[in-house]
Formats: sequence, C-alpha cells, structure tokens
Amino acid sequence: MKKVYIYSLFNRFWHWTQALLIFILIITGFEVHSTYNFMGYQTAVKLHNKTAWAFLVLIIFAIFWHLTTGEWRQYIPTTKLIKEQVRYYLTGIFKGAPHPTSKLVYNKFNPLQRMIYLGLKILVIPVQVISGFFYLYFNYPFGGFELDSLQWVAYIHTIGAFGLMAFIIAHMYLTTTGHKPLVALKAMVTGWEEMKDNELRVRMINDIEVALLKTKNQFKAGDDKGQILDEALLAAQSNLGVKTMLKDNRFRDALASSGVGYFCISKEGIYRDVNTAWINLYKYKSKDEIIGQHYKLSRTEEDFVELKKSVDRVLKGETLNHGEVKRICKDGTFGYHTLTISPVIINHEITGFEGFIIDTTDKRLAEKELLIKKIRIEEELKSKK
Amino acid sequence: MNKAFLFIAFYLLFPVFLLANQTSEDELTEEKRIKVINYKWKSDRSTLSQADHSTFEILQQNFQTGPEVTEACITCHTKRDEEIMATSHWNWERTEMLEGKGEVPVGKKNILNNFCIGVSASEATCTRCHIGYGWKDKNFDFTAGKNIDCLVCHDNSGTYVKGKGMAGYPDPSVNLSYVAQNVGKPSKENCGVCHFWGGGGNNVKHGDLEVSLLDCTPDVDVHMTTEGENMDCVACHETQNHQMAGKLYALSSENKNRATCEQCHTNEPHTNQLLNQHNIRVACQTCHIPSYAKVNGTKMWWDWSTAGRLDENGGEIHESDADGNHNYLSIKGTFVYDDHVKPDYFWFNGIANHQLITDKINTIPVQMNSLDGSYADKGARQKTDSPSKIWPVKVHRGKQIYDTEYMTLIQPKLWSPEKGDSAYWLDFNWDEAAKAGMDYLGLPYSGSYGFVETEMYWPLNHMVAPKEQSLSCKDCHTRNNGRLASLSDFYLPGRDKSNVLDGIGIALVLFASLGALVHGSIRIFTTRSKV
Repeated sequence: MKKVYIYSLFNRFWHWTQALLIFILIITGFEVHSTYNFMGYQTAVKLHNKTAWAFLVLIIFAIFWHLTTGEWRQYIPTTKLIKEQVRYYLTGIFKGAPHPTSKLVYNKFNPLQRMIYLGLKILVIPVQVISGFFYLYFNYPFGGFELDSLQWVAYIHTIGAFGLMAFIIAHMYLTTTGHKPLVALKAMVTGWEEMKDNELRVRMINDIEVALLKTKNQFKAGDDKGQILDEALLAAQSNLGVKTMLKDNRFRDALASSGVGYFCISKEGIYRDVNTAWINLYKYKSKDEIIGQHYKLSRTEEDFVELKKSVDRVLKGETLNHGEVKRICKDGTFGYHTLTISPVIINHEITGFEGFIIDTTDKRLAEKELLIKKIRIEEELKSKK
Repeated sequence: MNKAFLFIAFYLLFPVFLLANQTSEDELTEEKRIKVINYKWKSDRSTLSQADHSTFEILQQNFQTGPEVTEACITCHTKRDEEIMATSHWNWERTEMLEGKGEVPVGKKNILNNFCIGVSASEATCTRCHIGYGWKDKNFDFTAGKNIDCLVCHDNSGTYVKGKGMAGYPDPSVNLSYVAQNVGKPSKENCGVCHFWGGGGNNVKHGDLEVSLLDCTPDVDVHMTTEGENMDCVACHETQNHQMAGKLYALSSENKNRATCEQCHTNEPHTNQLLNQHNIRVACQTCHIPSYAKVNGTKMWWDWSTAGRLDENGGEIHESDADGNHNYLSIKGTFVYDDHVKPDYFWFNGIANHQLITDKINTIPVQMNSLDGSYADKGARQKTDSPSKIWPVKVHRGKQIYDTEYMTLIQPKLWSPEKGDSAYWLDFNWDEAAKAGMDYLGLPYSGSYGFVETEMYWPLNHMVAPKEQSLSCKDCHTRNNGRLASLSDFYLPGRDKSNVLDGIGIALVLFASLGALVHGSIRIFTTRSKV
C-alpha cells in the first residue's frame, strides 16, 4: 500500500475532540431547545455549558497550532479548480472520473473544502461561541451589562446549531467520496492516507519541482547549473513523468544537487551506491558505512514488507513512485520521504533498482508549502500574461 | 492498528468521564445542610420559657371586660399601646403611594375586595378580626389604648375567642382572668384565627394559609410542619415595636417592609449557580410553592349575582360540594372551591395598585388589585430596588355589585343585628343594601346596580414544598402548556423558538441528509452498473 502521512497527531486529536464536543453540544443543545427529552433538562444545560468551556480551550490550542505550523494557509480560499470540483461532485463522480484536485498535491483540502472550512472557522464557530457567551452570561446583569432580551441571541445560536448539524451530515457523507469509501476516515484516525497511482505521480513530480526550485533559488541568475534546473523544472511542469526525466543525466545531476537523495541497490537488495544528499538524509558519515548493507536496515518491518512488493514490481521492469515512507536514520531517529524507483538495466537485464528520495520530514513541510504557493502564483501570473 | 484502537477507545471513554463527573457533583450537593442565616435551628434553641404571668399580682383579679385586661397589661408594658396604635393591625389603613392616584390612605378600612366586599356599614361583624374592642361603626375611637385587644394575639391558653357580631369584644364564655395569666408570644393559632379564617371560612382567601398548618407534614409546609422546625408565623414575620414584617398586596401597595425568603436563605441558597441566577428574575416562591390549598380547598370563584335565592318557606339555602365546601349560600351567592391548585404566574416588582371605591370601572374584569411588573422592568428601566420577578399568584375571580350608571363599585351594607335595617344578609334587597352602604360612606348611588366580573391577585408565600417537590426545569422550560405559558413578554429557552428560523434549520439538515442519501445512492448505482 502506498501511503502518505498527512495528519499529525495533534491534527487528529483536535479534529476528533472537536467532533465529539460538537456532537455533545448538539445533543444537549437541542434538548435545551426542547426538541426532545433525553438526559434531563438540567443535566443537558450543565453538560452543554461544561462542553462549551472545553470547546473554547480546544479552540485556543487549535489557533496556536494553526499559527505555529502554518496550517492556517490550508484555509486560504481559492477559486482555482472550483468549477471542476463542483462538476466532479455533480457528474464526474458517477462516471468514475478522477478527482480534479488531489488531496496530496493540494495539501488536504479541495477548493470547496477550503471555503466551507474557512466559513466554519471564521463565521459559524465564532458566532456560536460569542452568542453562546451572551446566552450564558448576559441574560442577567454581568459586569454592568445585560441583554435587553435573549431572543435574538437564542435565534442566532439555534440557527448556528442547525448549520453545524447540516455541515456534519454533509461532511460525514463526503468522507466516503475518496477512491475507497473508508480511506478518508482511516486517514483521520491513523494519520496515513492511501494514495492512488496517479495521485502519487503528481505528488512525486510536485516534490521534484519543489526541490528543484529550492535549489534554483540558491543559484545566481545566469549560472549554468541554474539553467539545467530551469530545464528540469520545465520538464517537470510539462508533466513528462518521472521516468522520462530520470533517463536524462542532466536531471540526475540537477536533482542530486538539489538535495534529492539518489540510491542504487542490487537486485539482492544490497546498497551499491548513494549520493551525498542521501547520506545526509540518513545521517550517515560516509558512503562506506552503507555500501554492502541490505536496504532492510533502514526500514521498519511493516514498511519493509510493503516496500518489498514495490521493489518486486520494479524488478519486473516497472518504474514506480512509491508513497511516503518512514526511514530509520543511523542514529535511530525517523524521517519521512517520498521515493521513486526504477529498474537498472544493463545489457537488457535488470540487475537492480535505483531512484530518488525526496525528504518530506515535518520540519521541511512548511518550507515546501511556501514553495508550492510560489509555484502557483507564478503559474497564475503566467496564465494572466 | 493498536494505536488506532487506543485512539478510538479514548474518544469512546471521553463522555463517560464527563457524565461521571456530573453525578458525583449532585451527590455532593445532597449531603450539604441547608444554608441559612439569621435563624436559630430548633435543635439549637434554648427551651427556657418566658415570664410566668400567672404569678403576677395585677393579673390576680376577676376581669369582666377586655379593656380591663388591657389596662392591667399596660401597667407593666408601658407605652406598648402607643406602639400598637401606630400599626396597621390597629388602624386597618396606612398612607401609601398609588401609581396615578397619589398618596392615599389604604387598608382594610376602605379597600374593597371580591370576597365580602368591604367592612364599611358592617363593622360590628367584620371587626371580630380587629385587634380592638368596640369598633362597631365609624365613630370608633382609635386613640383609646384600653380598646386594644392584647389577648387575641398573646393568648397562649387557646381558650380566647371573640364574640360573633360583637365588634371585637370577647365571647361572654371566655374566662378572661385565666387567659390573662396565660399570655406569651403569638403562636400560629393566634395569627391563624384571623389570617386562616378571613372571608368567612377556613382558607377562603389566601389559599396558602389555613388551619392545616397548625399540624402538618413537611409535604404541606416545610417551615411550619410539626414534624420539623414547627416555625411560628413570627419566626419570619419579625416584629419590632409591634410592627410586623410582611404585608399583603390585597391591601398594600408599596415595595417596603416585606418579609422575604432571602432574609434567612440569602439570595444564593443553591450550590448550583445557574439556579441562584434564576433568583434575579424568579421569586423563590415560584419554584418552591408548586401548588397551594394542599389540604383544604380555597375559594376560586364567588358570584354574588346569584345570591338571594330562598327555599319555599323563605328560608336560606345552604348547598355544598362533594368535599363539603359551600357552593351556594343564599346570603352570598355561588362559590367554586378548589384544592391542590397550580398557581398563576405574574411579573411582580413589589408595587401594587387598587381599584378604589371612587374609581371608575374601565376594565372588565375589574382589577380589584393589580400587581405591577414586566420582563422589561429591569436595568435602567427598573422601578424598584430589584427587577420584576416571576411570582406565583392565586387569582380569585367573582362577580359583585356595581353602579351601572356611575360605573363604580358599590359597598353594600351586609350585616346588621336585626332585620329591616337594609342589611342584605337579612333582608335580601340589593337596592336597599347598596343605598345604605353608599350613604354610610357619603358616596353617591344612582339607584341602578348590576354585577360585574372582578379579579383579585394574591401572591403566594406559604405552603413551601420540600425541595424534592419544587418545580423542575421542564415545568417552565417546555414547549407547550408550561407553567409560564402565559408570560409571553420574553424569550424563555426551551419554551420559545422562531418557527421560521427553526423551519430553515430543519430544511437545511434535511437537505444535507437527503442530498447525501440521493448522491450516495446514485454513486452506488453507477459504480455497480460499471462492475
């Protein structure tokens, strides 16, 4: 299974705690609204108020998390591909058309999600929190202020609750629209999202683009290497596919100098060659430490089994973009990278496999995010010209 | 996968923690003793009795009349007569501010009600409940100390009774010397003799004050129960210089000198702050007096217009209902009694108004007294020292005589010692009774009378139920037929909603659900057909 780690532990904790708190708030809230009798009015009121406080604490943590990790950028609204997304839900999905926006390329949210989630974050939830506070504290004089009437506060709070409920229903349904019904739910629990082949390819190219662009930015204009990088970048953007790119030695060089790790492994699974970037990523000191070792060394058992499957396919002649994998570095710490694997063919015979690894460890995700934005902005500028 | 399992388990357990926390808090509340201030629990009180009056020399005489006893009392309790003469128990009136009417002397002396209507021209029978001797007409001397009846309040022998139609003098059968030697603090019996029996029978007027309180279970009244604190009336109606705390809005108007629950229970008696907050707009009585007339019935309806029907021999008719309460009397008309009555609820800020006998009738039913207050009576618009609160009220309705031309209420003469004196209860002639009554007051009577519907409001304060029986949230916070269904001038959570907004909300949720259902079905259908 090709997987990518997209939801951090806090991300999942926040999501599910929020889900639970909203669920309790809805159950108790509608009891307070006399929609039904379930746990008793007083219990419902008490629980509603306590839960509201818990929610507020969670919101404060979540705001902090969004700001410090840069996750807030995920919610910047965009109109790009929005029509395609709507069309997909209205017709494409029934014909088995591909998702117009890949969760992995566009980083979690499609343009509709961005809009809806942003609406929740800056409109519905703040309105609920503020009206809730007025409901709770200003019905009676509090700090010299008192509401003239509870009526409109209550109306707003109630319609907000209905809105949240409608959102949750739609949200739960839409989680089933991934390439398999339960993948999104599983990902939200484990953090690991399954990838489809085409998604993986796009992701890979994207990662390469990012790496290239980053390197390019380090060179001065007119530099030879810079030109090579430009061409590589162009190749990547023209969507030629990784395989084509890798055949060209210039790209190899470009990639190597952009911090993309290179490896070459015999068909028995023994490391033959790695580049400096690879050594750095795995935190080794020199090539000697790794040449001759089996690639099992740097994998958890679970991952090895999966990787082995991919390797077997490569050894039959395929070129694969493997999803994100966890690597065990020399010092025992973990890192994450995506990798591409292609067979090494000598005299019409497959003697091993080689490929590139692109680091995606959390620390670099933020940088990468910025770069993706840059690429997009450039694209937009280009299209305007 | 183990990790995912733990993750899910954590969230399944989360609500259990919240609920567990909930129950433990409730149990804690249960154990706490009721918080009170300014009150000595029965178990902490000393049982030492007061001075033994039977040993006092001045009381060792053969008293023949009430005033003789009073003069003896005053020899030791000097100046107490002056205190008494400053009270409304004595004067049956005091000057109060009535909105739109200015300062008016009001009290039992001149205010009409919709029970026996009023005391004027019938004093000799009504003043059986006056703390004096000899008030038989408007010439009564309110400045004569010897006319004070000390015994009616201070008799602890239980043998003192005032005579019927005797203008407050004791019944001739009473041994005044024995009574005088057995005096003490007023007990429930002393207060009850008038306050239980007002209106001509037990519990006729108040609904929450009646003889059963002399010996009742906590279910009837947690304060006065003989199985508990057995509190006397004066435990709450604290008295300084014979001025008693507390008042009744059938007669009084201003927001002052009230006996309150808060004087002992404070305004934060609950451990739950949400309940304490309710006290800002809800009187304690509202939740803690879920029903009144819990033992004997109380009068809810009194129709004077049917009075005067006599049997074939010209004799008076007495008819009773299944509970033994009168439902027809020739002298008074038709009654309806009820017991275990749910109160009506009104906003009240402590200010009342009254339909004076000189006031024109401009509402039907006539509001004999009206309780001021509204939800909006708060904050900057607040009229008194606190916002209006929701109060439980007994509403007594009836029909009584009025002047159809002058559009005023009429004070008829009801009682007289003998026939032929225009008293309705003897002669059954409304026209003459009206003329005599109005003449007595020096007020005009056009000669044409009719009967008009009236309403009178009695805020409830007694028959406080044990806390387990007090109202719960759902009694008011409920969509239909809640206790507060009639108080529609404010938004009450759980009772009120906007039909439009709720409709939009429900439509939204249905749209999302149906959308998911339809979209999902098409997806299943189309993918299947491909396979």
